[in-house]
Amino acid sequence: MSLGTRFDSTGTLVEEGSVTREAVSGGLVALAFASFVLGVLSLFQYLPVDATVGGVTVSTVLGGGLTLVGMGTVALGLASYAGRFETSPGHTGGLASAVFIGLLWFAVGGLVTSQTLGLSRLWPVLALLSGGVAAGVALVAREDLGVTLSAGLFVLLSGLVVVTGVVGPGWRWDPNGFSIVATGTVGVPVIALFAGLVGAWVAARVYGGFGAQGRQTGAYVLVGTNAAGMLALLVAVVSFIAIRGWGPMTEGIRYGLYWGPVTWFNPPVLDSWVIVEGPIVWFYWPFVMEGYGLNIPIDGVLPAIAGTFWLVVGAIAFAVPLGVGAAVFLTEYAEQGRFTFLVEISTNGLWSTPSIVYGLFGLAFLVPRLGNTPSLLSGQLVLGFMLLPLVVITSRESLKSVPDEYRDASAALGVSRWETIKSVVLPAAMPGVVTGVILGVGRIAGETAPILLVTTSSPFSADVAGVVQGGFGFVSSFPFVTVPTLDLVQSSNALPYQLFAIIGAGLGENLDFAWGTALVLLLVVMSFYAVGIASRVYFRRKLEA
Amino acid sequence: MSESGVTQSQDDAQSTTDSAADATTDVAGATTASRDAADQTTAGETDEQLREEWTNYQFEGDPKLSVEDLDVYYGDDHAIQSVSMDIPRNSVTALIGPSGCGKSTFLRSLNRMNDRINSARVDGSVQLDGEEIYQDGVDLVELRKRVGMVFQAPNPFPKSIRDNVAYGPRKHGELRTGLVARLLGRDDTDEEDELVERSLRQAALYEEVSDRLDDNALGLSGGQQQRLCIARCLAVDPEVILMDEPASALDPIATSKIEDLIEDLAEDYTVVVVTHNMQQAARISDQTAVFLTGGELVEYDDTDEIFENPESQRVEDYITGKFG
Repeated sequence: MSLGTRFDSTGTLVEEGSVTREAVSGGLVALAFASFVLGVLSLFQYLPVDATVGGVTVSTVLGGGLTLVGMGTVALGLASYAGRFETSPGHTGGLASAVFIGLLWFAVGGLVTSQTLGLSRLWPVLALLSGGVAAGVALVAREDLGVTLSAGLFVLLSGLVVVTGVVGPGWRWDPNGFSIVATGTVGVPVIALFAGLVGAWVAARVYGGFGAQGRQTGAYVLVGTNAAGMLALLVAVVSFIAIRGWGPMTEGIRYGLYWGPVTWFNPPVLDSWVIVEGPIVWFYWPFVMEGYGLNIPIDGVLPAIAGTFWLVVGAIAFAVPLGVGAAVFLTEYAEQGRFTFLVEISTNGLWSTPSIVYGLFGLAFLVPRLGNTPSLLSGQLVLGFMLLPLVVITSRESLKSVPDEYRDASAALGVSRWETIKSVVLPAAMPGVVTGVILGVGRIAGETAPILLVTTSSPFSADVAGVVQGGFGFVSSFPFVTVPTLDLVQSSNALPYQLFAIIGAGLGENLDFAWGTALVLLLVVMSFYAVGIASRVYFRRKLEA
Repeated sequence: MSESGVTQSQDDAQSTTDSAADATTDVAGATTASRDAADQTTAGETDEQLREEWTNYQFEGDPKLSVEDLDVYYGDDHAIQSVSMDIPRNSVTALIGPSGCGKSTFLRSLNRMNDRINSARVDGSVQLDGEEIYQDGVDLVELRKRVGMVFQAPNPFPKSIRDNVAYGPRKHGELRTGLVARLLGRDDTDEEDELVERSLRQAALYEEVSDRLDDNALGLSGGQQQRLCIARCLAVDPEVILMDEPASALDPIATSKIEDLIEDLAEDYTVVVVTHNMQQAARISDQTAVFLTGGELVEYDDTDEIFENPESQRVEDYITGKFG
């Protein structure tokens, strides 16, 4: 008995006739992916479903594309089953795929029978029936027939529903028992998203020629499309804010270059003023350089930016040394046991505690003790409390991941434990610590509730909080120098609170201002990110060859 | 520094994660070994009684290290069973034996690295130049400066080559190159350069890295990293160098460089090296101690005697490859 007869089907090393299959199914994958992308765009109203492109509505384009994908995959599956080109299908479509397809058809069957046919009692039976049949086909029939038929028909049906206008731009659906109304502007993109994903997946399985290779390409496309969708969501959210906020944020920017006095001084011997002239850049950006008030032509958010800056800086200055110190103690010194376990549980709990609870604590405990007035200091401490657990958690993790070989090597050289921590362990853990701080800053910079309770006054002040008062200088009395003082016990504004207050005051005429503020908040958080990422790169580069 | 007792108790309170990693190989090995030791032996190992004269090795002069009835326990496991041996100065002593026989544990007890493991307990006496190292008031910093250690896997710090070599002296306050020192005019940069060059030359690495002393040490090859670790150990000017299978992670060429280096080092230092490569032990060592199952020292003598005319049947079986 030769080895070749051990299997029913013998694979060929070089497949013939696969070029057509790959070209057609590759095209279908691209088409399905395009429907997916178009669905995302129309969901976010960049390309509304009732807009027309070259005389056809977007809805029709989506429907037509999906219909093509559905017909194409079913045709390819049938051709493969008929042996028109060589593929290596398995005996079954696979249990996971069958369950997935069954759920799809369960939903389709349920919706059609309950909503379109109006069978209010019977729909679960028919939904189960359609789901069961689809799953059965995918499971029992040979892979090339089962998967393409059950999933391809779903795509085809979705496409037909959209292209014929059953679910079109003017479509409305208010399901019984739910107080929501679905309109075509949402319904069509959602159908396109789902069917596009399913279509891309099935077409990719055909592209790989079914079997193991087909499942691999299918999964690859599915995961890739998901990742693309996630990125698209991110880009959509950011650009949504950027597009709306850009106009108000950049309103009234003026700049210029002129020749003028740069510096001047009075040398004792000459006893006349020496003036040095030079080019001076002049730049005026009202939105970030002005406050909010009646006598200001273009309102700005400078007090809020300054407030957010002081809050974040103060919180970091408070939480990072404390958190890293606690992490060093827990990881390097404390005996791992019930105590550290308890601390770990409670830090995790603190990190998930809602911010309003921290705010109430600050209001009840900190504010009465710190000047009995809403103040920057209270806000910094409360935000510091919120940041602390994350710093402890991430610092502990990165300290734990420092190889023990470093500690051993240092101990074997007779270096004490503290010196080892200081010069070997902490530098190796720094990138991880910084990552934790970056994550935490993103959260606290956008925190509204605690700020509302402990830092801001109502109505919010139109001027920048004068935190740094006085300057460096020399005086004739002891101690002969003056240094600026930090006045943190005063109320201040902050970007998220300002946004909240504007929304509370009624969006009508302030809508543009609100979008501008949101964009500035986003940019401020991102600039904190940039600082964090730059320092992480710096620390990492110090460790790497 | 007065941290003898303090350091020890701190070391005892060392986290379990630390210690687990410290002793993974040996604890695991020791577990099986000591269980077997009571009534049976490794497959292929014959049963025989130990005899005192096998381990009674005579040499001229005072011993550098003198171990007397040393027992080490990991929890309930008896990893080393009352081992006594004297190690002569300025020579290479090889410790050989099958996996899990306690040779690494024995090595680590010579500079009290076992203190870093929570569950480890040491009984008996180890004397360095006639001074007991297991007693109250021992300065672990001073002990480990005198008894340096090189580990199995190269473990340079993620710092520059120069910083790696100068690490020990800097931390011991022997080199001052910081900002304060520079401001006070007590900068030791010249001394540091000299020390780095001398240590790297001793470790036969200087020629290869002289033009990139400020590059990260992790960019070196495995063999170079191990020689850097030896240079780092030499920079604190030890008297004894303990090496735990220093070449087992290296290729043959790097191994032969390390072996040559060990032979050179034996002129000025007392080297104790653990290996499970018997050819290596035969090539580089002056005397060899054979540990067998259960953490017992079975035979200790001149290397030539051990390999050509062993007294114990088990040692003969082991070095001829019948078990282990």
